[in-house]
Amino acid sequence: MAEFTLPANSKVVPGKTYPAPAKAGRLREFRIYRWDPDTGANPRMDVYQIDLDACGPMVLDALIKIKNEIDSTLTFRRSCREGVCGSCAMNVGGTNTLACTRAIEDCAGTVKIYPLPHMPVVKDLVPDLTQAYAQLRSIEPWLKADTQPPDRERLQSQAERAELDGLWECILCFCCSTSCPSYWWNGDRYLGPAILLQAYRWIADSRDEAIGERLDNLEDPFRLYRCHTIMNCTKTCPKGLNPAKAIAEIKKLMVARR
Amino acid sequence: MKRLKTDILILGSGGAGLFAALHAHKAAPELSITIAVKGLLGKSGCTRMVQGGYNVALALGDSLERHFMDTVEGGKWLNDQELAWALVVGAQIRIRELENELGCFFDRNPDGTIHQKAFAGQSFDRTVHKGDLTGIEIVNRLAEQVWARGIERLEEHRAVELIKTADGSALAGVLFIDMRTGAFVFVQARAVLLATGGGPTMYKYHTPSGDKSCDGMAMALRTGLALRDMEMVQFHPTGLLAGPDTRMTGTVLEEGLRGAGGYLLDGDGKRFMLDYDPKGERATRDVVSRAIFDRIAKGRATPLGGVWLQMSHLGPDNVRKQFKGMVERCADCGFDLAGGQVEVIPTAHYMMGGVEFRGDCSTELRGLFAAGEDTGGVHGANRLGGNGVANSTVFGGVAGDAMAAWVRREGDWRAPDETALGKVSARIRAPLSRAAGDIEAVREELYDLMWQDVGIVRDAAGLGRALAALERLDARLERIGVADGNPAFNLSWHDWLNLKNLVLVSRAIAAAALARENSRGAHFRSDFPAPGDLVASRYMRVRQGGAGQPEVTTQPVVFTRLKPGQSLLGDAAE
Repeated sequence: MAEFTLPANSKVVPGKTYPAPAKAGRLREFRIYRWDPDTGANPRMDVYQIDLDACGPMVLDALIKIKNEIDSTLTFRRSCREGVCGSCAMNVGGTNTLACTRAIEDCAGTVKIYPLPHMPVVKDLVPDLTQAYAQLRSIEPWLKADTQPPDRERLQSQAERAELDGLWECILCFCCSTSCPSYWWNGDRYLGPAILLQAYRWIADSRDEAIGERLDNLEDPFRLYRCHTIMNCTKTCPKGLNPAKAIAEIKKLMVARR
Repeated sequence: MKRLKTDILILGSGGAGLFAALHAHKAAPELSITIAVKGLLGKSGCTRMVQGGYNVALALGDSLERHFMDTVEGGKWLNDQELAWALVVGAQIRIRELENELGCFFDRNPDGTIHQKAFAGQSFDRTVHKGDLTGIEIVNRLAEQVWARGIERLEEHRAVELIKTADGSALAGVLFIDMRTGAFVFVQARAVLLATGGGPTMYKYHTPSGDKSCDGMAMALRTGLALRDMEMVQFHPTGLLAGPDTRMTGTVLEEGLRGAGGYLLDGDGKRFMLDYDPKGERATRDVVSRAIFDRIAKGRATPLGGVWLQMSHLGPDNVRKQFKGMVERCADCGFDLAGGQVEVIPTAHYMMGGVEFRGDCSTELRGLFAAGEDTGGVHGANRLGGNGVANSTVFGGVAGDAMAAWVRREGDWRAPDETALGKVSARIRAPLSRAAGDIEAVREELYDLMWQDVGIVRDAAGLGRALAALERLDARLERIGVADGNPAFNLSWHDWLNLKNLVLVSRAIAAAALARENSRGAHFRSDFPAPGDLVASRYMRVRQGGAGQPEVTTQPVVFTRLKPGQSLLGDAAE
């Protein structure tokens, strides 16, 4: 059953405050979640003052600046820096987003940065995505077709290809799933919007021949139907995709085949 | 030190590494296969970042011969022609695997066939794509297949050294840092694939992801392997110029923009490419990059120091539709690509050079295979846009097949040199116990000197200066420590290791560039501007000398299929 007390060491306590640089132009405060599994200490919020005149425009630029110039112990994931890999997904100013494509200017006031909500934390801003990947595997996200393919590509219309627009662009950053209250509550059994969007990508693929099997796999009070159209997923998606719509399409297919 | 064993160990999870794993698994399902990667599987490296697409001769009127000729002429006849032929043949096979087996769904023509678009330097529209962000589709599909097959993953495991046997005759395995804990892990393997990707991130403006630091090439150099064509660093002409402090600067705006008819304008608003090449903006990457560099040198730069890219004359709505990803990327930085002008600068993009390898991806070190951007020879002096992901997927697959066969046939377990393991781990840990220093100042200095002296236009004085400066930077790094002694997920420690590798590979680049006293493809010497005698072409081979310095020798290019000037195309096809 649900646990109503939080583990003793989960309370976030105030952390270090680093002084503002001398002769700063435009100062902006960053409050960043810090947690080191090796110390056993509670997570804390460290406070950094950044001169925006000496910092790039993106939140990732600020994180790198902090690590390089102020506090080299800060840990976060990042790779492509252009919104393609999804490594730097985190919660910035209350919204799950990619640090690399979120402009500091678009954050109001103090910029508060946490790891993706409700995921186990590896260190500081780095979440453990093991379960999300296991769930992705569970929907068997690959082409299933018994018909022998031609010795060239399968001929498909442009309209069939266009069915995948809004789906294939997903970079698996899990901003959506970790913004979903249903996923927070039932993340062990509900697949969450990121995975369901991927599931629909295969259902919508005109070459795939396993729609029935795919729907069977999702026909479950938890795996699919914990979506209560809260729409946080669509609101937060840094790529402008609409997982809620993909989920609704799956639900429609479920009804249609009854 | 934790120890693991696996039959086949693959370093890297880009197109080469993932394809190798899938092919090895298919060829020999009984073997244990492990992919080790510095970040998360499928989320790190550059295949995911591929925008433009994938070159393959598919359409009526195109042919293997045409693709081959474009590749070799683009490579200024320095290519290993057998590898180039394997590339164009393999691309046809691989594209079917990607579509029909892995489930990639590339853009279509009205008749239902795969759409292919125009890319610079090619005689045919042959670039397969998915919108303008093709890599997401390729890597997502490949990664899913790897997850599905129960292939072992060592994520956030950074390879630090190739460990040979005590007698040095073969590779025994690879030493890693488990980045999450900071602990060393030695993985013994019967066959190892080097597929970490190159990534010229030692230049001030660069396109690859921030985790790329030439780790594979650096490890190969330290292990005594020969690298070829290291002077050949490709600059993509249209990197986004968004200001000095942002990681967005340098990110690439794809070649298709020029292919589709985009204009380049200098700071005065003048279209200049036709003054440099009759193909205008559609000239190859090296030509366009040098022309831009020349405009900048002549004082015709834009406010941030680059040139303008203009698409708006093609119709903003059309641009928005055709280049959705690029328009959004520019919008993220506050620029209007569809309707306005965007500042661009040539940005270091790809390394044509790398480990010398054979057609089956084996190397001179027994047990070590290599594929993708870690290797040299396929592209010669210049890579065609769209041949990069073709290279990694084609040779990744070849390597997977070859490793599976080799392990079954003769791949034995070999004991590592324990003394080397101890020495290497002590060297790697050393910065953790030294007083902290300014690592970023070293990086800034590296950026500037590589851009200025080892970049788009080079000469003997600058290259000599760079070699001396690089040696000093290396020595400086040896005195610098990292602030936090805790090795667990210590990004600064990895920055230090990254820089060590970048400086080492930079020295190889500079040394090869100094040795090549002519101008070919991506390599331009203002003191030797002529291409030299193509028929007498030689390629540069770099090894690490005893004192850590790069040593360059030259090897004749063997024209196994065609001599310069000859063509596989009959007059009718021209």
